[in-house]
Amino acid sequence: MCSQTLLYSTAQNTAHPQINIQNVDSKLQAANSAIIQAFNAILDAEESGANVTDLINQLNVGSELLAQANIEYATGNLSSAANNADAVLPIAHEVLVDAQNAKQTISVSGQTTSWSTLALASVGIFSFVLVLFLLWRWLKKKYVTNLYDTKPEVNLHEA
Amino acid sequence: MRLEDYKAIFIAVGLIGILIIASPALSLTLSLPLGEPFSEIYVLGPEQQFSNYPYNITEGHNYSITVGVGNHEGSSTYYLMAVKFTNQTELPTNFTAGVPSSLPSLYEHQFLIQDGQTVLKQLTFSISEASFSENQSSIEKLTINGYAFNANTVPEWDASTKGFRCWLLFELWIYNPTTGLLEFSNRFVNLQLNLKST
Repeated sequence: MCSQTLLYSTAQNTAHPQINIQNVDSKLQAANSAIIQAFNAILDAEESGANVTDLINQLNVGSELLAQANIEYATGNLSSAANNADAVLPIAHEVLVDAQNAKQTISVSGQTTSWSTLALASVGIFSFVLVLFLLWRWLKKKYVTNLYDTKPEVNLHEA
Repeated sequence: MRLEDYKAIFIAVGLIGILIIASPALSLTLSLPLGEPFSEIYVLGPEQQFSNYPYNITEGHNYSITVGVGNHEGSSTYYLMAVKFTNQTELPTNFTAGVPSSLPSLYEHQFLIQDGQTVLKQLTFSISEASFSENQSSIEKLTINGYAFNANTVPEWDASTKGFRCWLLFELWIYNPTTGLLEFSNRFVNLQLNLKST
């Protein structure tokens, strides 16, 4: 019984040395998790204001492979399913790293931009109010001068 | 004009000018309310128009359609399109329950779409291993994009169309980052087919 089991197991390993349903299933799960992780990183980067178009296009290549792997698994083509699932991992990992870098970069530059905007707005408002104030003073002075010119009896009285 | 009139003009111009100069800074803190987020799924004919849908189908012939998915959720979204094959009995009837069909998916496709974008997916399908007898038929295989799936569907005879009615059902599932799961979006579309014996 033991030798028969050994023979059967050897035969199975010879026919499919490293591929069995559990193995492929775990590869598919790993690929799925990698895609989800990369997508979450893209969402974070997008929320920070990064341009994620290229990242999405890249990850779509991975999700296309994952979709194919799932279909091949469902239709019994285990070796192709395993290969496609394996091919997803480096793509998803690259997207994950790029998305995290993009978020980091945009956070730093975003903070700098915010402070610059606030500073420029403050300077702009101050300058504008100052110009208005000076303009008002000049207008008021001119108004009073005109008033004196049109009322000679006032000047005469002062004289 | 009196001095008080000039004063009022200066105050008005001053306030407007301050608002204009401060608007870039205000845009950093204020955000406009977004519309209601939603996703859409629809089916187009082989020429990517709302016409020429395959209807009368026969065994062994290929038919093409295009499934469109649009993202208006306000952010990039991860979708799963599930394709199911059914007869009248198992077709979903409650369109507001938010519950997907209990049928198993034959064909699934995952993809990401940016907010405001639409993706079109080409699908080619055919029926095989169909059997017919009087007013009964059964379909064993449905091939989608070159992949053959076990359909095991029994379409009902429709005397008015002299064919057997069946449906392709397309469900849209969305990944929820909060739960970490793909959830049914209550968006689906179905394509009615009339299977002819010859």
